[in-house]
Amino acid sequence: MKRILLYILPLFLWASCITEDIQDNTPQGNFEALWRTIDTKYCFLDYKHEEYGLDWDEVYRQYSNRLTKDMTKKQLFQVLAEMLEELRDGHVNLVAAHETSQYREWYDNYPANFVDTIQRIYLGKDYVMAGALKYKILEDNIGYIYYGSFSSAIGESNLDEVLNELSICDGLILDVRNNGGGLLTMSDRLAARFTNERVLTGYLCYKKGPGHNDFSSPEPIYVEPAMDRVRWQKPVAILTNRRSYSSTNDFVGKMKAMPQATIIGDKTGGGSGLPFSSELPNGWSVRFSASPMYAPDMSHQEFGIEPDIPVNMTSEDMHQGKDTIIETARKHLKDKKK
Amino acid sequence: MNKPLLTLLFLILLSPLSIHAQKDSIITRATLYGIGHTNQLDTYLSPMEYTGPELRILRENMRKSKCLEGKLMRQSMFQANVSMLGNKAGTGSEFSFLANWNLAYLYQFPIDNQLKFLVGPHIDLNGGMIYNFRNSNNPVNAKAYANLGASGMAMYQFRIKEHPFMLRYQLNLPLIGLMFSPEYGQPYYEMSLSKDWGKNICFTSLHNQPSVRQFLSVDFPIRKTYLRLEYVCDIQQAKVNHLKSHAWSHAFMIGFVRHFQSVSQSVK
Repeated sequence: MKRILLYILPLFLWASCITEDIQDNTPQGNFEALWRTIDTKYCFLDYKHEEYGLDWDEVYRQYSNRLTKDMTKKQLFQVLAEMLEELRDGHVNLVAAHETSQYREWYDNYPANFVDTIQRIYLGKDYVMAGALKYKILEDNIGYIYYGSFSSAIGESNLDEVLNELSICDGLILDVRNNGGGLLTMSDRLAARFTNERVLTGYLCYKKGPGHNDFSSPEPIYVEPAMDRVRWQKPVAILTNRRSYSSTNDFVGKMKAMPQATIIGDKTGGGSGLPFSSELPNGWSVRFSASPMYAPDMSHQEFGIEPDIPVNMTSEDMHQGKDTIIETARKHLKDKKK
Repeated sequence: MNKPLLTLLFLILLSPLSIHAQKDSIITRATLYGIGHTNQLDTYLSPMEYTGPELRILRENMRKSKCLEGKLMRQSMFQANVSMLGNKAGTGSEFSFLANWNLAYLYQFPIDNQLKFLVGPHIDLNGGMIYNFRNSNNPVNAKAYANLGASGMAMYQFRIKEHPFMLRYQLNLPLIGLMFSPEYGQPYYEMSLSKDWGKNICFTSLHNQPSVRQFLSVDFPIRKTYLRLEYVCDIQQAKVNHLKSHAWSHAFMIGFVRHFQSVSQSVK
């Protein structure tokens, strides 16, 4: 019996362990873990090297010199957050209990092009809310819909009711300014109301391995028409500003492929990488772009989509309580009707 | 291959038929409940290991058959375990669930009246998921895999003060199989677009799935029934599509064992 046990017991310890090389929870260890996560999983390293000369190896050298063994967690956070800012990506965040880092230059360095107090003048007090949509028929018989966040769901019935209500209008303004994104499924659902046929709106890739260029073959993305639902058949103007980001950027890209749609306003903020999450040995969470989405011509949309009609809000109009971008859209839709 | 081994493989493939062929069998049925500890890694979700308690249920049916001169046993085992896990820093949590069904045909090699060894092939089906509560577009990873493997068992019967005891050790080792896995950075959103999941089905063997399930139990009588105490060492590991995963579970189980004859034998 003893001999049998001698043979059996080691089997409990059997199995070659599959583990990940986890860094120590030290400033150096957390730095290494973060740098390596971006190096192996971030999807725009080569693209950004071409665009503005990002050199991730050089970033390592530059920022690792700022580490000290006795630095506080706030000091470490500062170094890591600044390192991530080199990526110039609003989808990249470092999340700790005391702070969340965020790259904001994609909208901070540009005109706001949206003033909610002026928007309220257009909406008045009698606007209607359906799901996350606010809508109203403007005086010149142009329908106006404001969608402030793709994180807020809209139902198919909401869209049926809203589009049906606005069907008497000569044109439609769909305002997605200051919409920082949310659910891609909402982008698909909304865009599906503006086409009668299947439309190729872009491609999606993902990383198949840790190399900078280990990408899958592009998967085409189509918008399918919302069958048996109310679909908009008249001209539509999509209003954008720099804070139209992420899923909103995706929505604008989809609408760019629709023949009756015109993009009016400022260039969108971009954010075409589908974000994934990871974490560091000290428990901080990191979010980063993992899967690039492309336009139908395979061009990048990471730094935004140019409008068909570029317009900025003028201070003169703002003083008069007017929204230059809405006024341009109204004129454009009226001209289209003629 | 020798004849008994061929017969065992044949029985695995035609197990529904073989059930009907197995008359005059004694059935041992055990239902166990237990708690344990899990250490889990899934690099699709996080490079960090998550640990925490688990709850596990195990139901086993073992049927003695007259096939192969009464030396064949058919064992069907269903297990399910749920875990609530946290990372070392205490900032993240995961929920995991895995169900496993295992069917083995074991050929007996009696050594003496007390000790016997059993070996044979088994099939092993697994399904579950891990959910990470703070991830963005990679919050969940589904688990689905199937294996063909080898199973071995040692049973030792002894008495303490005239009470019969049975000590049992079992090892299930998957040898070849198929496993579902997303690719390295593949979002599930992309899978919903492509509907081509061929690239997500990976061939597995000992080189990329060194897993093992081990069971050590003792059965002893309590009045008219038997109590079973069991230790389960469940090591599930894989390295596919540049993604690493492991779930190392250790659980202590308790439950009752019942022995009875099949209806077909009673009728006969």
